[in-house]
Amino acid sequence: MNYPVWDIPLIGGGLLIGFVAIIHVFISHFAVGGGIYLALTERKAIKENNKALLDFLKKHSRFFLLLTVVLGAVSGVGIWFTIGLVHPSATSTLIHSYVFGWAIEWVFFIVEISAILIYYATWDKLDPKTHNIIGWIYFAGAYLSLVIINGILTFMLTTGSWTEIPFTEPSKKFWLGFFNPSYFPSLFIRTGVALALAGLYSLITATRLKDEDLRAELVQYSGKWLVPAFILIPVAGIWYISIIPPLAREISMGGAPAVTVFAALSVVFSLIIALFAWLGPIKTPRQTSFAFALGLLVIGFMVTAVTEWVREAVRKPYIIYEYMYSNSILKESADKINSLGTLNVAKWVSVKEINDENKLKAGEEIFKVQCQSCHTIDGYNGIKKLVNGWSETYIDFQLQHLDMLKGFMPPFYGTEQERKALAKWLYNLNK
Amino acid sequence: MNEQIILPEPDPIPLPAPYWLLKFLLVLTFILHIIAMNFALGGGFIAGITDLIGRKKNNQFYTNLSASLSKMLPIATAFTITLGIAPLLFVQVLYGQYFYTSSIIMAWPWLSVILLLIIGYYGYYIYQFNFEKLSGIRAWIVLGSAVLFAVIGLIYTNNLVLMLTPEKWAQKYFTNPHGTNLNFDDPTVIPRYLHFFVASISVAGLLVLIYGLGKINKDEKYGRWAIKYGGLWFVIGTIVQYAVGIWFLLSLKKEFLLLFMGENSLATIIFGVSVLLSLLSLILILLSFNALNPKPLAIGGIVSLFLTIAGMSIMRDILRNAYLQNYFKPEQFDVQIQISVLLVFAVVFVAGLITVGYMLSKVLKLKPTTA
Repeated sequence: MNYPVWDIPLIGGGLLIGFVAIIHVFISHFAVGGGIYLALTERKAIKENNKALLDFLKKHSRFFLLLTVVLGAVSGVGIWFTIGLVHPSATSTLIHSYVFGWAIEWVFFIVEISAILIYYATWDKLDPKTHNIIGWIYFAGAYLSLVIINGILTFMLTTGSWTEIPFTEPSKKFWLGFFNPSYFPSLFIRTGVALALAGLYSLITATRLKDEDLRAELVQYSGKWLVPAFILIPVAGIWYISIIPPLAREISMGGAPAVTVFAALSVVFSLIIALFAWLGPIKTPRQTSFAFALGLLVIGFMVTAVTEWVREAVRKPYIIYEYMYSNSILKESADKINSLGTLNVAKWVSVKEINDENKLKAGEEIFKVQCQSCHTIDGYNGIKKLVNGWSETYIDFQLQHLDMLKGFMPPFYGTEQERKALAKWLYNLNK
Repeated sequence: MNEQIILPEPDPIPLPAPYWLLKFLLVLTFILHIIAMNFALGGGFIAGITDLIGRKKNNQFYTNLSASLSKMLPIATAFTITLGIAPLLFVQVLYGQYFYTSSIIMAWPWLSVILLLIIGYYGYYIYQFNFEKLSGIRAWIVLGSAVLFAVIGLIYTNNLVLMLTPEKWAQKYFTNPHGTNLNFDDPTVIPRYLHFFVASISVAGLLVLIYGLGKINKDEKYGRWAIKYGGLWFVIGTIVQYAVGIWFLLSLKKEFLLLFMGENSLATIIFGVSVLLSLLSLILILLSFNALNPKPLAIGGIVSLFLTIAGMSIMRDILRNAYLQNYFKPEQFDVQIQISVLLVFAVVFVAGLITVGYMLSKVLKLKPTTA
């Protein structure tokens, strides 16, 4: 309510964030896992004095550089830009709660980017051992950046005792919010994902090798990188699910059909990857083709997409749990909005007082500040279809009990007159 | 309606460090970002034009230089982005309510920065990795990337000026809430942008000059040529910059202009010193062209120019607070210092510097074989 609402017809802000975020997650986890893949495999090649393997790594590192440094890094900035535009209040909360968390992450970025640029540029120039050390430095920087961002991301779902600690205990507030209940299970899951993606991506370069024997060896080797994920992800996953808020668990397990379907898909796709990684690269590396590897990577992308979508969805009705609702309303300001009215509290509305002439316009403005962060009018999650066939009184009834009837929605806040105006406008959409 | 001013509330969460420290980090990291940005943006234009001249004149010096620049451009871009994260963080910490609002008003152009950056960045890599293969069109690829980067700069200027003028927000937003606004109706946007753009050409000229200084021991003729050639870009850019700078100053509201003309003594001193330093660097660089040993003169010129950039960045900050003087009251910030977090940051920062230093030392030792 503090910021203007960016009106994006049809797709809505949520989908836009999802689009940028999924690309970033899919590459950034590779940037972490691929780092240790490069460092460990290079160590192996040096030990075995395997020139062909080193040549492969040199090529693989170019692919790695072009993908992670450009698309990976810039899409990360892209998420930041996008959330600032769609959810400015929540972005501001994350920025202000973790100013020096972000600053620490920035230092890791600098180390990471310096290391990978040097690593790529100094193949055959630095002595192998030093070159390998640069690879390890890269991995350390990349993993530590995950260690930081994981704290801030998990904080949004499991704020823990952060909401209860007063601002007068700033350090305690920072650390308890950062090392929140889902911090470690999430870190283990992400570590598993990073290792698995290292395997999936390197299958892409490995299956294209000309030398038959090296190809088979590397395909099998890369396939084995998925094995830790088979163990880490289910174990940490169960831990994660056991620790998240009950409502979030409910949403993913039947409470909201779409979310449940996506959560199930995430598991099914992961199992498919596990099965085919076993049957293909690990058991029959010689028969594993580039197309097969590409297929696995595409399924990997789908897992990322549905899982990220679920992770975002289960946080509803909040964007920052127990602190801020998904429409940017602070939980603690509810009473104020109920007594003063949404239109009075909201800054960027053109109607301040409702009368008979402007009722519909008022309803539209209320929709904008309370609903539009998740709903479009007739596009993604379009409200017009959702209320089709409902009478005005029934809409008003729904609005009065939103949080009861639809657990993933925040309650409606505002005066009775405002609620009626919103109901009228919603009803009129289908007239 | 035109006069309506809507101002979002600042974030209720207190600052984790004193205002001055956050402000210092904002300005310091901005300076680092802007230097890398100048190399990335101006370097792209110089590389492309040099490449074209090389083909036309069939002169190996030009082609060699553009080949060397092709390797520096992606690195400069990587550091522009990474060094840009910090000032983008601190500006949101201190000026969040202004920054988010203006960004939303021009959301699509603002978001397009990401796409333009990805395309331009890949263009630089295509230029580097296919330098030999692409003989004919490669110059146009690098110039295309540089133009995209120049557009990014223009979008930045639009937003960062709009952020300072809350008077215009409500009118713009209510006329068009779809985020497709720009800020060209502000008369300072174009001269302010050109001030940054021309600077990037000059500073990238210095990059070529620094490169020449590095080459002079191995290949004196080529090194001296690069010093002069890069220096010439710098000199011409800087002379044009004086005209653009005056235009920018005059485009400002009178009360802001007067700040630098005596009204605010700190602003005036920094302005005066910065202009003198830029003149000094101009003279030193010119003198280095034909000097027996160009190194000390050139290094003096480079140092004075970097000091000029620092001075200009401080002026930029003074101007920002002047724009926002009716709304932005730093003394109203609630500060709750997160001491343990600050300590961790300090340790990580030092460790990070040591790590990068270690890696650079390994690379610098390679110099004889790779430079």
